[in-house]
Amino acid sequence: MFWRKTRRAIDGFHPLHQKLIWEHVLSAALPRSEWMALLASLSRHNELVRRRKWALPPRTESVVVPLIRVLCEDVGRGTVGLTADLRGHAGKEGPRQQLPVRRPVRSAEQWWVRDRWLSARSELRDGSVFTLDVVDVVRKRRIVKVNPRGKRKTKQKTKGVQRILTSRALAKGQASAQPGTPPPPWIRVKVRRGPKTVIRAGAKVPLPVEREQVRAILTVAAEPFRWTQRRRSA
Amino acid sequence: MTPCMVSTGFFVLGRCGRASVTGCAGCGRPVCDRHVSGDRLCPECATARGYGSPYDPMWSYGYRRETYYTTSSSYQDPGLYGDFDAYDRGAFDPGDQGDFGEPGDFDDGDDRDFGDS
Repeated sequence: MFWRKTRRAIDGFHPLHQKLIWEHVLSAALPRSEWMALLASLSRHNELVRRRKWALPPRTESVVVPLIRVLCEDVGRGTVGLTADLRGHAGKEGPRQQLPVRRPVRSAEQWWVRDRWLSARSELRDGSVFTLDVVDVVRKRRIVKVNPRGKRKTKQKTKGVQRILTSRALAKGQASAQPGTPPPPWIRVKVRRGPKTVIRAGAKVPLPVEREQVRAILTVAAEPFRWTQRRRSA
Repeated sequence: MTPCMVSTGFFVLGRCGRASVTGCAGCGRPVCDRHVSGDRLCPECATARGYGSPYDPMWSYGYRRETYYTTSSSYQDPGLYGDFDAYDRGAFDPGDQGDFGEPGDFDDGDDRDFGDS
């Protein structure tokens, strides 16, 4: 059997790490110490696994690992729940629609891919609960055209955006105040006042490149925390 | 007993408050055994030497400062970074236990925390 040593190394990894390798998904609600054990296991991956087929899926090291690290910084005795579906967009297409066409175009169809690939829930140490959802929304169009000599051409276009939705439900009686400056125009904020105030911030952004993904998420996530920021007097 | 003055948390800031074991070789503030790095540095001084990978337990301390700085710029809210910076610098004031929260309020599940002793 080939790759025997590598298989043995994978068997020694954290169970969630193994699931990431085999299924490209991660779903768990764990206390901070368990997440740290998973990160310790992930840190050994590149050293022990050389086979490309068993590499960590995209967005694991650039998004999921930094996000776990950030969420665990604020969690108290509670848990951090995280669901990451890193299988990509394949298999998540919606139904195909036929679009009206004019010659020489013979057919045009359009379909959408909605990929809610990341969601998280964290019980913070100040008693509030933070949630995060990241959804890729991709429009795909395929056009078939025929030239006067009967030659067929197929063209496909893809346009992607990403929805980043965050919310923070404050602890009962926790004070909140509107920040002095508004958020950037691309971030929408909704506040529901009550015994437990809920602050929601959402944004629709062009599909960020992988290395900018965490930055985009944290920029949106900062807004619910600005509402409880205690300004230090000079 | 001198409490550890490392700023903890990412968005919800607090002071560590556990018993310090040494002073940071870079900035001198008291640091506990959990936050001291191999070179006897506090997390901020350790990450300032080089930007580590997210697998490094100290990584988030350097990334937190950068995030506050860039977010402050995106929101055009200089107070966001200014307040974080003031809070972080407050760690050098021996009498400052953090005006932003009660010390010990934000323990991280370890019974050995300063606030619990």
